[in-house]
Amino acid sequence: MHIGPILRAMKHNRTRVVLIVLEIAMTLAIVTNCVNVIMSERAKMTQTSGFDDDNIVRMRVRPFTPEFRESAFLDTIIDADVRTIEAIPGVKAVANTNFQLWEGGGSSTGVRPPDVQRQAVSTQLYYGTKDLVDALGAKIIAGRAFQDGDHGVGPKIDPADKIIITKALADDLFPGQNPIGKSIVEALDDGPAIGEPRTIVGVMEEFYNPFGIGTGNHQQLATRAMFMPARVGSYARGISYQIRTEPGAMSSVIPEIERRLTAAHAGRVFEFMRTDEKRGRWFSSSKIVVTTMTCIIVALIAVTSLGILGLTALAVSERTKQIGTRRALGATRADIVRHFLLENWLLTTAGLIIGIFGAYALNVLLVSQVTDAKLPWQLVAAGVVLLWINGLIATVPPAFRATLINPAIATKSV
Amino acid sequence: MLLYNLKIAFKSLKRNPILSTLLIVGIALGICVSTSFVTLRHLYTREPLPGKSDRVFYVRLDSWGDQPFRDGDPTSVPDQVTYRDARGLLRSPVPLRQTPTYITTMFVHPDPKVGRPYQPDVRLVFSDFFDLFAMPFRYGGPWAKSADEKRERVVVIDDATNQKLFGGENSVGKMVRLEDKDYRVAGVLAPWRPPLRLAELVRNAAGPPEPIYIPFNLIETDQIWSSGNNSGWDGKAITSFQDNLNSERVWLQYWIELRDPKDLGAYRDWVTGYIAEQKKLGRFRRPTHFKLSTIPEMIQEFELMPDGVTAMSVVSLLFLAVCSLNLVGILLGKFLARVPEVSVRRALGASRAQIFWQHVIECELIGVIGGAVGIVMSLGILAVLSRFMQNGEALRLDGEMLLLASLLSLVAGALAGLYPAWRVCSVAPAMQLKVQ
Repeated sequence: MHIGPILRAMKHNRTRVVLIVLEIAMTLAIVTNCVNVIMSERAKMTQTSGFDDDNIVRMRVRPFTPEFRESAFLDTIIDADVRTIEAIPGVKAVANTNFQLWEGGGSSTGVRPPDVQRQAVSTQLYYGTKDLVDALGAKIIAGRAFQDGDHGVGPKIDPADKIIITKALADDLFPGQNPIGKSIVEALDDGPAIGEPRTIVGVMEEFYNPFGIGTGNHQQLATRAMFMPARVGSYARGISYQIRTEPGAMSSVIPEIERRLTAAHAGRVFEFMRTDEKRGRWFSSSKIVVTTMTCIIVALIAVTSLGILGLTALAVSERTKQIGTRRALGATRADIVRHFLLENWLLTTAGLIIGIFGAYALNVLLVSQVTDAKLPWQLVAAGVVLLWINGLIATVPPAFRATLINPAIATKSV
Repeated sequence: MLLYNLKIAFKSLKRNPILSTLLIVGIALGICVSTSFVTLRHLYTREPLPGKSDRVFYVRLDSWGDQPFRDGDPTSVPDQVTYRDARGLLRSPVPLRQTPTYITTMFVHPDPKVGRPYQPDVRLVFSDFFDLFAMPFRYGGPWAKSADEKRERVVVIDDATNQKLFGGENSVGKMVRLEDKDYRVAGVLAPWRPPLRLAELVRNAAGPPEPIYIPFNLIETDQIWSSGNNSGWDGKAITSFQDNLNSERVWLQYWIELRDPKDLGAYRDWVTGYIAEQKKLGRFRRPTHFKLSTIPEMIQEFELMPDGVTAMSVVSLLFLAVCSLNLVGILLGKFLARVPEVSVRRALGASRAQIFWQHVIECELIGVIGGAVGIVMSLGILAVLSRFMQNGEALRLDGEMLLLASLLSLVAGALAGLYPAWRVCSVAPAMQLKVQ
């Protein structure tokens, strides 16, 4: 098969050459960048919290009768509520806490060892009652969870001196050492200690809560946390609980909790937020991006295939006489098909080469501004292969039609 | 002539319905995708307060301690103001309208026949707030300025709250029970959903506006705590409500509207003077520094436009370009098949220009029909997108976007059709006729 006639034929059909090359180049550039965005969004969506997300529901109690303003009453009712909820079949564990999963909210502070004057490490800070670790389905890798006697008195006023911290925080504060039994104290920046030192009794393995987005050190802050054993809640801000259920029991447990707690005290309303739904909402924008980018890719490849098909069909009909002549001079049907396949393969390849540059240019221009995801070469290579195959497939129908040209009729008027 | 060309174009489209459908679908796909994503981006770039976006400012003062508000950024300012500064700023005569504001939650006790108590967000504002943010009223209006001074218990409720509590009737003058006190309804808002929660862009910006508004001055009389963000730097404990008011903690938003953008200089001078005065009292330990930001500036500074929105709108426009480009080949084939017919018309006296325009109009007809189909399809896409977005309710195809979509359709038609039209009008009739 000589390439000469193909190149000469191309010279006579510059429009088609330019169009196919341009279409392929733009398609490659767009498709690879879309896939790149999809991959980085998907990577975000695989982030786990470290907790039993599927079986945890947050209950927020909003009181409206005046006795909830008394902290002693709050203590009593929180303990009573925990006992009531624990007794419901299907409930694994429950804790009163101000920790929220997948809501983007939280509270934070700085901590450092009490005896070392150094820049404080920023960390999330939460309060929770005895069964907090179990209610979250978290894993303790060193030390222990909270137990009876760890509690302070009253909501948040005097948390006891025992704390649990996450592994990420332990690694930042005490690299290479066993943090159990060590003390830390709250402080801001390089300022003096605030409050009393607290002893680390447990280390939680995995923890991720997207808090403090837009504050620069969000990625580190998201994995650092410390928990203090205390009841937490107030008349103004309400009282929250995390409740972990047996798999599949949640839908039946929620109305039962509401029924029993309302029966115990009706001066309040309840709000339930399922963690799996909150997680879904948290990633909803990633989901939109993934879905729409996928649709764009499919539509784009379809449209480009159609375009190549149309252009090749046009080439075939324009060259009816030439094809007839070649057939009359002894070219086989296979020769004709091969001619068009090779021609389009050359054009596709040229387009792909330009497209590779286009893909990186587009990546630098816009995608990197928002996701800072570098375009991996494997992805570009995959795109090249895909469009190569696509280009060939789109050429087959018109090339096959070219073989049906009857040389006698086609050359009649030459 | 245009009508005649259109008639020919319609006939030509009808002659090959499959091909015409293909062409229209191609344009429609491109327009649908590009319109949807440009509209999505428009949600964050359109003028938030038409006619006064350059006169409304969010005020931030650097009242922070010895360290900058954000680590390592000496130009950063606290994202909210202290209560003392809110009271101080209110003394300025320069702004046309101004209001400090903050959010709280309060129990609403409806008539027991209507429903159980519930606890929505409530915003505390001065009466200027409503006109500053150009909020539309269905009944009544903002409470009188005298109500601010006299600390009257008045309330503005939104349309949904009015439906819930009063079945949607004109409830001006009726009473709403918030916590343990009655408030007289001064106004009922018409449905209003800006893309962002304008009053408090620094937290949950995409959330809905608050359903209930009461006078700011009730803060001290009724001791109403904030449920929003509250940050401080001096580590002093807050044990009473008064502590919080006297503290250096920042927890209030402050908005001003100027009569004219030119007044900005005068307001800057006033604030500089105010800070100098406070420095004498031992406050504002850092160099004099404050920030007045318009809403668009806030959107940019706090990166309120989600990641990928700009990227998606650029990709969607490229997609439209590829769609048109792909149609060039198909149109070329369609037009060139018509060369014999065109040659006859040319031989009978039609000018090149006439042939050219006839074909361009045919392409534009495809563009317009495809565009119309695409716009309808994008309504579907926008409806789906809005369901996944917190501020989806505000996502809509407005006049500006409709105009843009129409323009894009015409451009797409031209991009696809100009070259084929030129090719077909430049054939030499004699050669063609000879073969026939």
